[in-house]
Amino acid sequence: MILQTKLFDKLYRFGSVKEVLAKANEVKSGDELAGVAAEDATERVAAKVVLSNLTLEDIYNNPVVPYEDDEVTRIIIDGVNKRIYNEIKNWTVSDLREWVLSDTTTDYDIKRIRQGITSEMAAAITKLMTNMDLVIAAKKIIVEKTANTTIGRPGTFSSRLQTNHPTDDIDGIMAGIMEGLSMGIGDAVIGLNPNDDSVDSVVKILNKFEDFRAQWDVPTQCSVLAHVTTQMEAIKRGAPVGLCFQSIAGSEKGNTAFGINADMISEAYDLTLHEGQAAGPNVMYFETGEGSELSAEANFGADELTMESRCYGFAKKFDPYIVNTVVGFIGPEYLYNSKQVIRAGLEDHFMGKLQGISMGCDVCYTNHMKADQNDAENLAVLLGAAGCNYIMGVPHADDVMLNYESTGFQETATIREIFGYHPIKEFEDWMEKMDISHNGQLTERAGDASIFLN
Amino acid sequence: MNEQDIKSMIETILTDMTSTKEADKNNVGPQTADSAPKEATQQDISGDVLDDITKIDLRKQFLVPHPHDREGYLKIKSFTPARLGMWRAGCRYKTASVLRFRADHAAAQDAVFSDVDPQLPKEMGFLETQTTCQSKDEYLTRPDHGRKFSDEMAEKIKQSVTPSPKIQMIVGDGLSSAAIEANVKDIIPAIQQGLKVYGLSFETKDVIFVKYARVGAEDQIGEITNADVVCMLVGERPGLVTAKSMSAYIAYKPTVGMPEANRTVVSNIHDGGLPAVEAGAYIAELLDKMIRLKKSGIDLKAAENAGN
Amino acid sequence: MNDNQILSVGIDLGTSTTQLILSRLTIKNFASAFSVPRINISKKEVIFKSNIIFTPLKTQTEIDADAIKTFVSEQYQKAGVNKGDIQMGAVIITGETARKENSEIVTQALSGYAGDFVVATAGPDLESIIAAKGAGTNIVAKENRKNIVNMDIGGGTSNLGLFSDEDVIDTACFDVGGRLIKIDPQSHRISYIAPKVKELIDRLHLNELYEEAQVTDQQLQPVINCLTQILENSIGLGQKSPYFDLFITNHGLNPENQIDGVTFSGGVADCLNETLPDDEFRYGDIGLLLGNAVRHSLIFKEKDVYPSIETIRATVVGAGSHTTDVTGSTIAYTEGILPLRNLPILKIAKSDESLDVDDLAAKISEKINWYRVQNELNNVALALVGKHSPSFADIQRYAAGIVKGATVLITKHEPLIIMVHEDMAKALGHSIFARLPAKYPFVCIDSVKVENGDYIDIGEPVAGGEVLPVIVKTLVFG
Repeated sequence: MILQTKLFDKLYRFGSVKEVLAKANEVKSGDELAGVAAEDATERVAAKVVLSNLTLEDIYNNPVVPYEDDEVTRIIIDGVNKRIYNEIKNWTVSDLREWVLSDTTTDYDIKRIRQGITSEMAAAITKLMTNMDLVIAAKKIIVEKTANTTIGRPGTFSSRLQTNHPTDDIDGIMAGIMEGLSMGIGDAVIGLNPNDDSVDSVVKILNKFEDFRAQWDVPTQCSVLAHVTTQMEAIKRGAPVGLCFQSIAGSEKGNTAFGINADMISEAYDLTLHEGQAAGPNVMYFETGEGSELSAEANFGADELTMESRCYGFAKKFDPYIVNTVVGFIGPEYLYNSKQVIRAGLEDHFMGKLQGISMGCDVCYTNHMKADQNDAENLAVLLGAAGCNYIMGVPHADDVMLNYESTGFQETATIREIFGYHPIKEFEDWMEKMDISHNGQLTERAGDASIFLN
Repeated sequence: MNEQDIKSMIETILTDMTSTKEADKNNVGPQTADSAPKEATQQDISGDVLDDITKIDLRKQFLVPHPHDREGYLKIKSFTPARLGMWRAGCRYKTASVLRFRADHAAAQDAVFSDVDPQLPKEMGFLETQTTCQSKDEYLTRPDHGRKFSDEMAEKIKQSVTPSPKIQMIVGDGLSSAAIEANVKDIIPAIQQGLKVYGLSFETKDVIFVKYARVGAEDQIGEITNADVVCMLVGERPGLVTAKSMSAYIAYKPTVGMPEANRTVVSNIHDGGLPAVEAGAYIAELLDKMIRLKKSGIDLKAAENAGN
Repeated sequence: MNDNQILSVGIDLGTSTTQLILSRLTIKNFASAFSVPRINISKKEVIFKSNIIFTPLKTQTEIDADAIKTFVSEQYQKAGVNKGDIQMGAVIITGETARKENSEIVTQALSGYAGDFVVATAGPDLESIIAAKGAGTNIVAKENRKNIVNMDIGGGTSNLGLFSDEDVIDTACFDVGGRLIKIDPQSHRISYIAPKVKELIDRLHLNELYEEAQVTDQQLQPVINCLTQILENSIGLGQKSPYFDLFITNHGLNPENQIDGVTFSGGVADCLNETLPDDEFRYGDIGLLLGNAVRHSLIFKEKDVYPSIETIRATVVGAGSHTTDVTGSTIAYTEGILPLRNLPILKIAKSDESLDVDDLAAKISEKINWYRVQNELNNVALALVGKHSPSFADIQRYAAGIVKGATVLITKHEPLIIMVHEDMAKALGHSIFARLPAKYPFVCIDSVKVENGDYIDIGEPVAGGEVLPVIVKTLVFG
């Protein structure tokens, strides 16, 4: 294992694989805050050079958090198929990158190799990829998952309908849902971030969602994004949980800060499979985001990209229907500006898909970040090109509860239009039946919430 | 050919001629000097002012041209501050709604990236301080620097304010300078007036103004001043609904590194949320409660739930 | 009893029947952990329903107070509650029994006996609102986004409450009910005819209808038809009856209001049958005849009729569960002055609110004097709209104007009761506190909508003193 190189005659020496991974990362304010980023641009490239020459075995043997100390590491390592791993362990990181990009490597090939790689390997090749690499590589990976409907089929592009309300006013929430559905939004999931995390309130909203979904016969799944324990209690009280949600992190300590562990998620998975509203087999929904481990002081000196990749390794165990990175939510101390957010969105999407995750992205930014809606639209189009499974549909991109900007109903409609994508088949059939679309084109009724009023 | 025929023939010819002429006239347009684009003269510029689009009540703005049920739509829309009923231009947004969105975002960004009017702390008579941050950029990317004071600054605070007070008030710019400018002048006297009900007080000259402040800065101030209760008014991260929202973070004997759960928070202080004067009255009551119970945050809540 | 719950009683003393319910109101903070509490009633559960008894009367019109007292105490015992546990509630005296003498008798009989709750005596308008809320008309109107009128057809009166969404927009009352004529179930002899029906009978020349006469349903049909037509007319249907005005109790509905649908409550709501049973006088009155006639009336033909949550118990459930509101967290009051009952609302004109201190004070003092009865000054609750997001200077001006204008009350040492619609009560309270003599009793609450002509009851604080239960008695519609 070689951890040093020269660039322009200057020697760059790194102390560990973890340091190489961190310094090979593209510029992220969060890595600077954590004190793990490269000193300068040349050192960053030196780290990339060193990283490209490391073997997959080197990466495998050096998880960024020790196996003994961390259940996320154990889940990732224990999930590896040793036979497949042995076939590729002598590949360098560069080899893996070029193999993924190769003309002859197909989704079928990637499905097999996926079982032999760890999250750190996925992170490692991501650090060697350019933005366009990330788009083309992700584009060829197909991840289909089924809850009530099947997401991720080639040629489809879906959206989560997110109509949060500052006080969970159910009528206000439903108003947004009606308008979103009328625009063909919500085929991935109808999902609400509740302000009130109490079981009573969550049960009430879930019942309302399911009543409405059933009344209009909408082929989709519903979720209220309360803490997993709240949702489990709701299920026990008979509430119709479609997808069971939780925010997750890339280390056990990070998960502890979210009040969860693997056993708890296993229990939730099992409960939702047997008593949830959706047929499955994919009934879990996770959210992630670069920087969340550092904010919980649970990054163990690793960079935020590598920690993010480990989230997908953890998620994989529970075979989720969807996972999305909430890429610009955390703030400028983790992702400074639109350039960093766009990069992170492409990275997370690719790393997730490479690990077999049905990836979506909350393309977003907060108002204290140097970004605006044009940047969000740029990333949304890039992700559309990269074959992202879904993005968010928030009324006019303005989340009035969480106070940040995401993508609106219009963005999903536009990406479908630009790339010729369709909603999930059953959902599109429903849109035709509702006269929202006609032969795949939005009608004059699209965008009119009042079609759901009697 | 009789007279009648000739007459009608002439008429036809004349009509044709004139209509050709008309057509020609219509074609010449841009070539004539008269209709060439010309610079607007002073007389062409109207003194009128366009309506302020940020004054439009979003809960009432409705751009759907032929809704299935207009009245019903307006009703359901009234239940949420979300931007509903904004319709579309093809699969994109209408100009009016996209401009309003940009205006609200611009206000939010300006609130973050500008400084509090330097006259404000002077007029109010606050003690002016600054954390270790040297710029807005450093402030945004280094939250740890926004929680710390240099030794010199700590000494200045120690020398300038009344030591070991019951209440130490702090005003920090936080993530919205606009929030501070909009609320501080009303909330400070409202807190002072409310405190009188409980026999408590603080002096305006002892209020510490902190530039580049994160909430955690109040912990070090708590240690420096040895105050019983520290209350920091700080600008919240702006949303599109308002860029002027302020919060109060109140802690009983805060120390650096104490759990966040030990803070009591009053958020959403702005003219569309909790009005500053009413927030001040409410904060006064909270301050009294914390001094009496010697607790804040979840401990205070637990003590209250246990029936005081 | 959990401190976040209010035990409330409702008692309905009607023309024909009396009943009692107990309901538990749960108050909950709807705001997130990081905001000022936003307290509201989250759940209303009826936890006990009494039997329905015939209203004990000493004469045809005078309530037997002792019998009522016995009834109430028996029901509390059955329900297993102490009168001291009851924090709020309302007694509604309705129909023909709603006379001043009766309300005084009942108030005296129950005060200090039925718990320290608030005794309210209803006018027909309040009863209409309460019955409609008990019937769930507000919910039907909200869910269907339509204007729905509840017709609470009781023994002596029919109370109409018209709701648009959750808000009541109009009320009316008619002297039409199931017990306007009482008939012995066995002998079919008439034992009682209400005065207005007597007049109707005279004018229709129905000579065979008189007290003591034995009758058949055919003989009564002209009266029933007339009463039904009045009910049709009351919501703008059918040809106007020449007797319509005769049967108006206080006023009809404003004909300009649109009515999309109807709910029914009251005893007759349980008699809306397609066909008449053989023993049509089994309740000893004309309720079944009237119900049958209403079922075949234009109301069912031309309006959507929605099911109601409560029928015969609508008024009592409304009285027990839907009269109390709460105000909390940003309020100010001095301890020991609650509960306060039956305070008339004195609302300052909105235009006067922007006056400077002296002029505002003059207006307030002038209006307080309107409540001087026989040279005796009565306390009032001073109501203001207030200002949205006021400045500190606004608060000072309001407080100074109020305290100066209320000098006459303060001299008499009447507690100062201020109600403001906008969210500013706590700051205003503090400012008023600073201007009042030391330890002077006052209450300053916000977010309660009141109008001139309303009365208000304010109960003892709950939820650790942060919340005050309030009953607004709306007696007049503009």
